[in-house]
Amino acid sequence: MNKIDTSNPVRKTDIREIIKDGFTFFEGGCGTILQGKGLKPGEQPEKWNITHSDIIMGMHYDYLKAGANIVKTNTFGANSLKYELANGEFPLSTVIKAAIGNAKSAIKKSGRNDAYVALDVGPLGKLLKPLGDLPFERAVGIFKTTIKIGVQEGVDLILIETMNDIYEAKAAILAAKEVCNLPIILTCAFDESGKLLTGADPKTVVAVAEGLGVMAVGVNCSVGPLQMVDVVKELSEYASVPVVCCPNAGMPRTENGKTVYDVTPDIFAEAFTPLVEAGAQVLGGCCGTTPDHIKAMREHVLTLTPKPLEEKKHTLITSYTHAVEFDKRPILIGERINPTGKSKFKQALRDHNIDYILQEGLTQEDKGAHVLDVNVGLPEIDEVEMMQEVVTELQTVTALPLQIDTTDPIAMETALRLYNGKAMINSVNGKEEVMEAIFPLVKKYGGVCVALTIDEGGIPETAEGRLRIAKNIFKRAEEYGISPKDLIVDPLCMSISADPGSADVTLDALCLIKEELNGKTSLGVSNISFGLPNRDLINGTFFTMAMQRGLNAAIMNPNSREMMKAYYTFNALKAIDENCMEYIEHADELAVTEAAPTADKNVVPAASGVETPNDPLITAIVKGLKDRAAAVTEDYLKEKESIDIIDNYLIKALDIVGKGFEKKTVFLPQLLMSAEAANSAFSVIKAKIVASGSKEESKGKIVVATVKGDVHDIGKNIVKVLLENYGYDVIDLGKDVDPEKVVETVLKEDIKLVGLSALMTTTVPAMEETIKQLRKSAPDTKVCVGGAVLTQEYSDMIGADKYAKDAMETVRYAEELFA
Amino acid sequence: MTVKYSIRKEDLNINPYDVLRYLGYAKDRITEEDERMVDECIEEAREFLSPKACYDRYHVELMDDNRILMPYGEIESKSLSYNLSGCKEIYIFAATIGASYDRGIKTMSARSMAKGSVFNAIGAAAVEEVCDRLNEELRLKSEVLGEKLKTRFSPGYGDLSLDNQKGLFRVLDPAKHAGITLKDTLIMAPEKSVSAIIGIYDA
Repeated sequence: MNKIDTSNPVRKTDIREIIKDGFTFFEGGCGTILQGKGLKPGEQPEKWNITHSDIIMGMHYDYLKAGANIVKTNTFGANSLKYELANGEFPLSTVIKAAIGNAKSAIKKSGRNDAYVALDVGPLGKLLKPLGDLPFERAVGIFKTTIKIGVQEGVDLILIETMNDIYEAKAAILAAKEVCNLPIILTCAFDESGKLLTGADPKTVVAVAEGLGVMAVGVNCSVGPLQMVDVVKELSEYASVPVVCCPNAGMPRTENGKTVYDVTPDIFAEAFTPLVEAGAQVLGGCCGTTPDHIKAMREHVLTLTPKPLEEKKHTLITSYTHAVEFDKRPILIGERINPTGKSKFKQALRDHNIDYILQEGLTQEDKGAHVLDVNVGLPEIDEVEMMQEVVTELQTVTALPLQIDTTDPIAMETALRLYNGKAMINSVNGKEEVMEAIFPLVKKYGGVCVALTIDEGGIPETAEGRLRIAKNIFKRAEEYGISPKDLIVDPLCMSISADPGSADVTLDALCLIKEELNGKTSLGVSNISFGLPNRDLINGTFFTMAMQRGLNAAIMNPNSREMMKAYYTFNALKAIDENCMEYIEHADELAVTEAAPTADKNVVPAASGVETPNDPLITAIVKGLKDRAAAVTEDYLKEKESIDIIDNYLIKALDIVGKGFEKKTVFLPQLLMSAEAANSAFSVIKAKIVASGSKEESKGKIVVATVKGDVHDIGKNIVKVLLENYGYDVIDLGKDVDPEKVVETVLKEDIKLVGLSALMTTTVPAMEETIKQLRKSAPDTKVCVGGAVLTQEYSDMIGADKYAKDAMETVRYAEELFA
Repeated sequence: MTVKYSIRKEDLNINPYDVLRYLGYAKDRITEEDERMVDECIEEAREFLSPKACYDRYHVELMDDNRILMPYGEIESKSLSYNLSGCKEIYIFAATIGASYDRGIKTMSARSMAKGSVFNAIGAAAVEEVCDRLNEELRLKSEVLGEKLKTRFSPGYGDLSLDNQKGLFRVLDPAKHAGITLKDTLIMAPEKSVSAIIGIYDA
């Protein structure tokens, strides 16, 4: 890493010291001032650093005279997406240098020796993957380029502002950390609902930002001062660093075709009373504010007393939307994403069956897990790559925070870097070598780390022995600058079948860790019953005993009935569950599932306009009843052959629905529901085939892909599900697929049929290119195309063999081709 | 100056018939049960909605040969020239139901494709509703000033190329004001977003 040396002798007091005591003042609006001076819509304000340097300098000067002591350089949009690096009329480096030059000149002219220059870094205007198309590492790279230039020009701190996505904020902070050692301030744009555009609440922002080591965190833009009070309150409740607040001059509105901000300097100033009371300490303004606003605000605020800064003790992990706090309520960490002892899961990893892994995650979420443990280590797969993919994919389908569980430090770093939020880390222990590998990662990326009480000497047999290791881990963590609140001790539980005293030792250790270290605790509860029959009974009782001793988190199976019972009853008895609401809901659910274990519910109403033969399996599929279809299939398998069930029941049912779809008496959701029911019947058959050791019947292999540049995959997924139902092996290459990858797969797997999907006119050329390459390398392979924008005409034009107007038509074509 | 338009998710009226239409349901085949299902899904989907929009007003000049001087430069489009006939000013707006909805569709689809497809259709109906509401507000604003509005027109309609998205995004900056971004493919992220031009003429 080539960090720029920023340890020059400091001319003035370190901003890190200044900012903690009393108030500090930022400048106010910039863009709105420039617009008032003639900046046109769409014109890049950063160019004015060169073309109108007098105006920029004058603006900084006015703010300094108004009492601001941190100047924000006019570099909000100065990044390599908007400016060429070294060419053209306005190269990026020239623009940034001019901006910093203007800021410094203004300070000099003002004669102030207590003013600092903050390099202003705004959002890139692009959404990061997977929501948008900007890869995380590319975002880090773009931010690094800007920050590096700023640091070389001698700014005092980095201000990352107006962030509306916590993931992008993380990219920017990491970039700053990898380029320099300057202090970093993060301010985010919370909207009227008190959240970022991508969903994070203030608590989450604090947890992520402090985990990454910012000097101050806060809010700017979006709303006026009054609407910011609640956000500032929440930020200040969780932040141990100073809270920043830079509101707009109210909300802009149009008046006779003109845009106006209507909060005057006096009203603006007054509005800071509740903000200061709520804990804001670093103050300024954003859109619509002027030097007059800052002057009035400063004069008013200096009559108030700042809320004293305190170290907060909350143990927080987050996803991209919300935080999970380890406190009174025990936290359930779902353990099912883990291959240990699970042959199906191992097979899914080998087959690269990400869907299976995602389903494991979703099921645990539905059962009540608060956090998901992710362990994808298997000797024969590339764990780093798999971890990266599973973390990314899980974070697109679930908003639960994840616990990264691996012993491979590279997989750990890759996951922590890419993770959207502040992750839980599983784990560190008392071994020096492990602490040396893991603690620097915790320090760099943030996270709450599980600390196992085991060291070079093994697991101590006494509670005191385990406490000793915990103490040592705490001490070493502190040396790395990791706060005790970011550690959760796991005093380990061993089976009582091997050591009858082990439960007591573990329980005593829980107490000691709480009493002597004020430490949070976690346990892999089910280990206690290893080797015993009906383990769930022991697990449930032990879980209750541990919670009573203050256990904060359990790594457990949310499908375990006894553990869930223990959890809900404990919370009700300890008044953690207000009015026993959650308990009552759980009890009701239990009663329902115990009375009718296969209660089946339709997602959408079944099709009404189809005739169904009088057969339970066909009816179940046509009506889209998943559980029932599976149960009937189990029965049928006792007397019928698999192939008989597939051909005479599954396919027959799907044909009925398919024909209805073509006649417009059955509609898309119903078709899909039937496909899902058929799928669940099909999995039962598949399981039987696998168990019996005979080979699966496959009608043929088909490749499906959404073409390069296109990320719409709903249509393609529908086609895939239907084809699988009809007994084809489908190789799904996903979305945004390079033509080369399609060709490569076709050649490797000897594919007869390729299905390509495109949803946008702009990606039809990519489809054409894919077909062209296929023709060249695999002239015998047929290509079927589909998607919203395609027509028979387009299809002919780009040389496809078949245009399928919907999923059923693709199936029909495959049936023809493979007949 | 770009102005934000706010509407609360609770206030969006999403019509179940529109949703069923997007899903391809034939009108005479919609049952009460279908309607109830969509209504339930709409309430579930509402949690994921975060409607936002922004707009601004600009000068526009219609010239010969279907050329138009837009605030971001000169373009050529027969369909837009026709749509804007008699206009000297336009509104440009961008509207979305937010990034969380994209995640909502993904989450639902992972649980059930059937439900995912319903969520997808609800999203389409919801963003249209945001556009309609903003459109109505702009109409009322203009009415006071003695002006009328043309039907809204988006890049991709008729011969107005998607390339216009770049210009629209440059002058309006909806990334900053409503969290709407443009991908390299000129498609917007979040997925359920709309950008459009509305002609203003004297009544």
